[in-house]
Amino acid sequence: MTAAVAVAVLVTGGVFLVLQRGLVRVTLGFILLGHAANVLLLAAGGMARREAPLVGRVDLPEASDPLPQAFALTAIVITFGITVYLFGLAGAGADAEPDDEPDPEVLP
Amino acid sequence: MLAASAAAPLLARRLGRDTGFVLAGVFTLVLGVLLARSPDVVYGGTLDYAQPWIPTLDVALRLRLDGLSLLFVVLILGVGALIVAYCARYLNPDTSHGRLFGLLTLFATSMLGLVLSADVVLLFVFWEATTLSSFFLIGGQGTTGAKPATRALLTTGGGGLALLAGLIMIAVTVGSTDLNVILSDPQLIRDSELAWPIGACIILAAFTKSAQFPFHFWLPDAMVAITPVSAYLHAATMVKAGIYLLLRFSPPFAGEPAWTATLVVVGLFTCVMGALFALQQHDLKALLAYSTVSQLGLLVALVGVGTPAALATAALHLFAHALFKATLFMLVGIVDREAGSRDIRELSGLRHLMPVTATLTGLAALSMAGIPPFLGFISKEEAFYAFLGLEGPPWVGALAAFTAVSGAALTFAYGFRILAGAFGGPVLQPDLYEPRRSFLAPAAVPAVMGLGLGVGVGLLNPLIDRTVLDTRLVEGSFDLALWHGFTPALGLSAVTITVGFLLFLRRAAVDRTLPRLRLPVTGVGAFDRGYERALRLGSLVGRPALDPSLTAHLPWPLLALVALGVTGLLSGTGLGPPPAPLSRDGDWLLLAVLALSVLGLAVTRSQMAAVTLLGTVGFIVAGWFLLAGAPDLALTQLLVEILTVVVAVLVLRRLPGAFRAGRRRRTGGAAVLAGLSGVAAGLGTWALTGRRERSPAGDFLLEQSEPLTGGTNVVNTVLVDFRGMDTWGEVTVLAVAVIGLLSLLRRTTDRAPAEAGPGPGPAGGADNAVVLRVTRAVLVPVILLFSLYLLLRGHDDPGGGFIAALVGGAAVALDQLPRGRPAVPRWLRPDRLIAVGVLVAGAAGLLGYLDGAFLRPLKTELPGLGSVSSSLVFDVGVYLAVLGLVVAALDRLAVGRSRDDAPVTAGDRS
Amino acid sequence: MTASALLPLLVAGPLVGAFVATGLTRPAARRALGLLVSAAVLAGSVLLVMATRDGQVVVAQVAGWPGGIAIPFAADPLSALMVLVASLLVTTCLAFAAATGDDLDRWFVPLALVLSGGVYGAFVTADLFNLFVLVEVALIPSYVLLTAGGRPEQVRAGRIYLTVNLLGSTILLAGIALLYGVTGSVNLGELAGAAADSNAAALAAGVVLVAFGVKAALVPAHGWLPATYPSAPPAVTALFSGLLTKIGVYAIFRVYAVVFDGDARLSSVLLVVFLATMVVGVLGALGEGRMRSILVFHMISQVGYILLGLSFFGVLGVTAGIFYFLHNTVVKASLLLTAGAVETTHGTDRLDRLGGLARREPLLAVAFFAAAVSLAGLPPFSGFVAKLVLVRAAFAEQAYLAGGLAVVVSLFTLLSMMKIWNGVFWGEPPDQPPAEPAVEVPRIPRSLVWPGVVLAGVSLAVGLGAELVLGLSQTAAEGLVDPSDYVDAVSGR
Repeated sequence: MTAAVAVAVLVTGGVFLVLQRGLVRVTLGFILLGHAANVLLLAAGGMARREAPLVGRVDLPEASDPLPQAFALTAIVITFGITVYLFGLAGAGADAEPDDEPDPEVLP
Repeated sequence: MLAASAAAPLLARRLGRDTGFVLAGVFTLVLGVLLARSPDVVYGGTLDYAQPWIPTLDVALRLRLDGLSLLFVVLILGVGALIVAYCARYLNPDTSHGRLFGLLTLFATSMLGLVLSADVVLLFVFWEATTLSSFFLIGGQGTTGAKPATRALLTTGGGGLALLAGLIMIAVTVGSTDLNVILSDPQLIRDSELAWPIGACIILAAFTKSAQFPFHFWLPDAMVAITPVSAYLHAATMVKAGIYLLLRFSPPFAGEPAWTATLVVVGLFTCVMGALFALQQHDLKALLAYSTVSQLGLLVALVGVGTPAALATAALHLFAHALFKATLFMLVGIVDREAGSRDIRELSGLRHLMPVTATLTGLAALSMAGIPPFLGFISKEEAFYAFLGLEGPPWVGALAAFTAVSGAALTFAYGFRILAGAFGGPVLQPDLYEPRRSFLAPAAVPAVMGLGLGVGVGLLNPLIDRTVLDTRLVEGSFDLALWHGFTPALGLSAVTITVGFLLFLRRAAVDRTLPRLRLPVTGVGAFDRGYERALRLGSLVGRPALDPSLTAHLPWPLLALVALGVTGLLSGTGLGPPPAPLSRDGDWLLLAVLALSVLGLAVTRSQMAAVTLLGTVGFIVAGWFLLAGAPDLALTQLLVEILTVVVAVLVLRRLPGAFRAGRRRRTGGAAVLAGLSGVAAGLGTWALTGRRERSPAGDFLLEQSEPLTGGTNVVNTVLVDFRGMDTWGEVTVLAVAVIGLLSLLRRTTDRAPAEAGPGPGPAGGADNAVVLRVTRAVLVPVILLFSLYLLLRGHDDPGGGFIAALVGGAAVALDQLPRGRPAVPRWLRPDRLIAVGVLVAGAAGLLGYLDGAFLRPLKTELPGLGSVSSSLVFDVGVYLAVLGLVVAALDRLAVGRSRDDAPVTAGDRS
Repeated sequence: MTASALLPLLVAGPLVGAFVATGLTRPAARRALGLLVSAAVLAGSVLLVMATRDGQVVVAQVAGWPGGIAIPFAADPLSALMVLVASLLVTTCLAFAAATGDDLDRWFVPLALVLSGGVYGAFVTADLFNLFVLVEVALIPSYVLLTAGGRPEQVRAGRIYLTVNLLGSTILLAGIALLYGVTGSVNLGELAGAAADSNAAALAAGVVLVAFGVKAALVPAHGWLPATYPSAPPAVTALFSGLLTKIGVYAIFRVYAVVFDGDARLSSVLLVVFLATMVVGVLGALGEGRMRSILVFHMISQVGYILLGLSFFGVLGVTAGIFYFLHNTVVKASLLLTAGAVETTHGTDRLDRLGGLARREPLLAVAFFAAAVSLAGLPPFSGFVAKLVLVRAAFAEQAYLAGGLAVVVSLFTLLSMMKIWNGVFWGEPPDQPPAEPAVEVPRIPRSLVWPGVVLAGVSLAVGLGAELVLGLSQTAAEGLVDPSDYVDAVSGR
């Protein structure tokens, strides 16, 4: 239940940001969406079992499913790489969106 | 024949325009071969040939020669031979004509294939082959011919597509593509539910190809082609393909009222309309074009009548028309060459200067006008007879006949118009002379035949009989003769001649009234307008896609997901409740903070706040992972978050100070969509996860990971041992991200000037610097050692390549911080790091082949270190690559421009 | 070593080659390495096709772990054909890039090789998460290649491309997570039929399908394709055309066939989407004024055709889809390469700035015309056979509207091809502004022309000798309609 709420919160925030102007905010949105996906992955493993999957250290029936954790780790790293590249793109001037609407306020 | 079309261009290069004679010989030869076998055919047999082509679809190269095909074969090859011979003298002797001859021969081959094919797919192939070759023949060099050729292509191509649809429907209904099979049981098609669509498609195809209303416009338009092309394609062969199609598919459809009505009505309408237009023309070639349209209409109507008599007449008239039309075109071409014009207003009195030409023209024109004893007269009269015999209410036949008579009368009129216009009257151009015999000869042959066959029409009886048999599957014997006695048909012929003659005599008056009969739209105009409208529709449809703003594209996938969520709500999932409680109390607290941070992040306009909140969210998520029992994951998340924040800060320094606001409506819409997506995602998570026991794979991994790999950190063993391919892929992704940074930030020039002066580190006095230097000297090596430790212990405890490398990256970052201008040491080149990293990991994978499979871990015993697995090597590769990314990010994003300020040259090193 | 053990090399080879190439300093060396690796994969794929031509499945459990735990690489006839066509494309496009000079950039060959490795892997992996990773492996070089050159329009296009695809990838990950949550596996062998049996699994797999639909540019998520692809260098667009969207299409084939088991409940929704894609794509193409824009819109339309075959989920329909897939990859690339040759030499691909090229470049014109009518489905080219099978499958299933639309759309396809033909190859060359001195536009060099010619020739050959490819497609289709061989091989039973 909590996982579902967490996912809902992260997705709402992420989608909102992704639909904003400016590549930086879009990137922030994607970071949030990435978090959501990872939370979802862990939830898919089953949030009822929450011990770390370390053999010999924990009670195996209570150990969390290691497979989604590995998936999530891979996904975090991949997303990290893309995020860095996205930020690079933002910094390289890709931030310019066609100015079809006059800016109501531009802060210095 | 195919070989001939390939050889033709080569020949042409050698022989120039005389290639025509050679080709004529070839055509005649092929015709002879086929004719030699023809007696069998005419008296009831067929010639067959079959070769499998696409057995999967049951399509084969099936050819069949029967009476109907024989008729057409004679036309195609006979007229073809004459035309290419004509080309030999028509064409310019100096330029090369390889293309033309090749295309003409190719076209003839296609037509031949069309009438000989006994497989509907093959038939279609040849049908389109004629469309394509005529496209190039009309188009010529692509200047004036372009538009007419395109119109012709699109119109006949459209019909062709209808044909395809119809033929496939037939194949599906009958269960075979073999024409023999299809035609042997016509009832099957008639009874199927697809009968109407099939018929409609066939008719559509025929109408487009044979230029019936409203598809007639492309034919006169296509007169921009040179005369031999017009003569062959548009008088004798290609346009007849539509008639062939109608004849060939008469067995199932002839006699059906819808078929008959459509064909007769449209055909006769076209006949009269075409004749009217013809009468208005001044250009001889255009006149002949409209005349063809008209005559085709007559043919279509005859086929539509469908009685054996009508079909016989159609076959006969087909023949007659080919003869006189080809002649007329050729002679018009001759006149054009000799006199320099085709306009009857400019030509006059040529009968004195070119008597032979005039005579031949007269022969052909008289046949066209339907004067005895020419072949054209016989076919006209039979046509009247056929119309009178039209099945249905009595007035139908009379009406049809009446219309036919009108058409014929007009034909008579314009026939004489040709004669009088060009040949009658006083001499205006005294310098002209009779063309050479070799030029005239090809035209002479059909003209004379028109007369000869008129008298001796009985010769054609057996062939016509056989043709009717093929099309109507009914035995019949038609007594074709010049004189049948005083029949009503004869009366109608007399009426035709009289009216026509009157129209001719009063031609001045006619010329005045006719222009007022013009239709407000021309076919070509309508076509062009339709074309333009289609293009405009296209732009309209395409425009939304080209919107360069992101909000045009991103919502769609999200909407699809929301729709999916709704579907899920409505249909239910069928999963049971969770076997054990999923939530713990501590979760809610974390959730609350998360929600607040996310909210703040979404609405803030300050960049610094955004970055801070980003970090906060990341930490909370890391905490969540810890709560969920994923220590490696939490560590990784934490470190990644730190680095992301660092990168964000570096980038934001170069951008405007605050986030720009969007319009209210846009923000509102975004919020709604965001809310919907969030709810959908949350629902999906709640409904689809946590409702089963641990997966079999998870169980296996927990139990077997230590025995199989020697490691106790199961997540790590999954990453490097069990699913190494995933990890190697991910490492590659990182490496490419580095490449992206290296290439991107080298090329784009920066807007902000290079930041000179102190970097993000504290700008301080001398004592700060000392403290920093000492800290650096102590901390950095410690952190580096720590990272190595993490690397080595990863297999058994939380740690591993990623975490280690991220920590190592932190060390590098720390090393650079105090310096005024962060500059990573030259030896730590990111491109080398990533390449080595990926390759090392790959090498570890390849080592696995020693044990039989890629990426299989190998274990050895090393003194002092205990059991070491090749997965450690793999992890080292991972370490190097991740380190490379960190270094690249710091290097490229932190500085104002790339370290190498040299201009970009190809093959530059970074 | 057996064939199955060599399967992972389809991915490993190009990746290793790519990073070795980053260390080579001479462009000629990089070029040679790239071509060598791609040609090797091409040869290997031919062997693979031969090994699977009777329906066998070549499978390798990567790293030798038991079935269900290891990542399986499985080549059934479909995957083998996909790899064959993809490697053909990559090799040809690399040759073209060599001719345009695009590969002089230090990163071009490595990026292209990584891209190709990810694509080949995506075609043979039978593990959904691995598919996700390999899709990312293929995508991220494309982000970089698209923006190579740094022009503002490229960077803008890159922005759209990156975000849309990133969204798609995130959705894919979420879908995989949900599927794991429901079924406890990401192995295609174990997932077989799951979505047909369980609503929950169907929903999760539906999310996966949405993700791949975005990547394949299906309506309504199609707009990103024409907004981005035409901005890349011509060699890059050609490369993308045959690889990236095709992963999405392949994945839809595979997931629908294996996980959904061809569930008929989905087919009406799918049918609507695919028909809409066909129509919207071709209409958009009509409205454009640049060669590459027209061709890119066509990509959308053609994807609709390919998937239409899938929605008639019987052997004939799926055969049609697969054959169309193969034909389209070849022909589309040929057209883009030819257009690219024109654009590279003349500096523009706008229809109103070109003209009369048929006289100057007869070979190129013939290649273009051949590929163009093949695309429109006229005989004797591969496009005709493709359309024939497709319409026949449609009518056999009594989906008359679909079949009819397919025919009508091909008329419009012909129309738009004629638009290019008349604008570029026929007609008059554009007028030179009188002030400028007469600029002598050079002839297009042979090396730029022959890649397009070769592919057009392939289309003709396949059209004439259709039985060979059609037979292979049919075997592949049988393997999709009844995936039991595939499933058994993948699960290690």
